[in-house]
Amino acid sequence: MMLFARRDVPLDSDASGRFLPWLVAIMVYLAALALISALTMSRAIGHWQEGLSGTLTIQIPPDQVVAKAKSAPDALDRVLDLLIATPGVREAKVMEPEEIERLLRPWLGAAASLAELPVPVLISVTFNPAAEPDFAALARAVAKISPDAVVDTHQAWLGKVRDLARTVQGIAILVVVLIAGCAVMIVAFATRMGLSVHGHVIELLHLIGARDSYVASQFQAHVLSFALRGGMIGLLLAVGTVFLAGEVLKGSEAMVLPELALQPLDWSVLLLLPVAVALVATLTARFTVLRTLARMP
Amino acid sequence: MTGASGAGKSSLLSMIYLARKPSAGRIRLFERDVTTLSRPETAMMRRKIGVVFQDFRLLDHLTALENVALPLKISGQRDEKVRRHVAELLAWVGLSEHLDSYPPTLSGGQKQRVAIARAVVGRPSLLIADEPTGNVDDRMAVRLLYLFEELNKLGTTIVIATHNESLVARFDHPVVRLVDGGVRVDRPRKGRA
Ligand SMILES: Nc1ncnc2c1ncn2[C@@H]1O[C@H](COP(=O)(O)OP(=O)(O)OP(=O)(O)O)[C@@H](O)[C@H]1O
Ligand SMILES: [Mg+2]
Repeated sequence: MMLFARRDVPLDSDASGRFLPWLVAIMVYLAALALISALTMSRAIGHWQEGLSGTLTIQIPPDQVVAKAKSAPDALDRVLDLLIATPGVREAKVMEPEEIERLLRPWLGAAASLAELPVPVLISVTFNPAAEPDFAALARAVAKISPDAVVDTHQAWLGKVRDLARTVQGIAILVVVLIAGCAVMIVAFATRMGLSVHGHVIELLHLIGARDSYVASQFQAHVLSFALRGGMIGLLLAVGTVFLAGEVLKGSEAMVLPELALQPLDWSVLLLLPVAVALVATLTARFTVLRTLARMP
Repeated sequence: MTGASGAGKSSLLSMIYLARKPSAGRIRLFERDVTTLSRPETAMMRRKIGVVFQDFRLLDHLTALENVALPLKISGQRDEKVRRHVAELLAWVGLSEHLDSYPPTLSGGQKQRVAIARAVVGRPSLLIADEPTGNVDDRMAVRLLYLFEELNKLGTTIVIATHNESLVARFDHPVVRLVDGGVRVDRPRKGRA
């Protein structure tokens, strides 16, 4: 009904009403980016782990591998025999020089020729997904054949990546918590300012019988509307940024991250963000009003 | 209630409508000592009291209609009937042309009548009017006092503060005089009201 539509406390006309939505927008934007990086990071780890858990790489020094024509089996042949005999191994593949060159080119540059470099022979081993291979025993057996061979189960590397990812996630969570703290302080401050700017209106409302919760509801409605507005703006900006970043990164070579595209989980987190901000802001406004008024005589 | 300017009429009334607390003594209203009321109890008691403030205290960003409807909105009455009731009340005080006017565009007397409408709209048990006829001509003043008399007959206790001795003389009601910090009560001759 029109007669009661308007708020009794004219908060919308305050200067704060103009900049608060933008403050909320910026906070939601930063929180969204932090959360997306954390989510992308954990997806990346899952991706790498999945790709690497059933595999290992064996490096054999080049001097232990005899050139094409040979009479007796060299270290490479014996390691391959060993692998074929190992239970659970699905495939043991010697990487072609072209493939190794392709992998190394980003680091060495196109000019370098592999022929001049002592590049080790790489065997890429894939296990059956169900197999639980005894990496240690395999490593010992390989060492017996070729003491300088390196059996890499990628665990050390994965461990480091996981640490990095955890750090990024920790920072992201810290950022979100700090932003939430910021939001609470800004809303509390703006609410207190509104209470003092409109002190005469609030006094009148009290004198004609308004309860504190009625006054609080006026502030809640105001804060809810600007928080939702700001939250949606921040969300749109964040989605736009992620989309742009995804487009830019798509073209880059040696892409180690999974595609920077928003997944269903990301979407639900993102959509929840403005709602959460609006909720936090509204509760803060209510609490601030009730506490401030209760202290009044 | 009469008394010279600065005698303390507004101060006494503000204690009765629970805006200020007495520094000494007690005030009993509706069988309660008002100094012992909690905040929610104070709010509920204020809903039984209508006040016409000497300085009106209308909300400038609300129309006359919205200002008058405010006490009803606060007490949770929000149906369509309210608009008609409020409009009728404003028509009665001669403001049917100004339902959607904002207080800053109204004259002093018009504002005063909006303030009176707001004070009586909730059918209060106690009506307190601080100089409610100071800004209107004598004809309107008499008309407003008749409105108050009507309410009084319906059971509302009414306290009016005024300088206007001729108005006091015209009606036959008990008069409280504030003189030199003391109170003198004159009973009406015919013992009415
Ligand atoms: N908040 C206050 N603090 C201290 N003194 C005050 C306060 N308000 C009013 N006074 C003083 O109390 C006295 C009574 O003021 P009050 O407003 O009650 O007078 P009044 O009888 O209503 O006068 P008028 O007829 O001019 O409205 C005045 O001397 C005034 O200066
Ligand atoms: Mg006065």
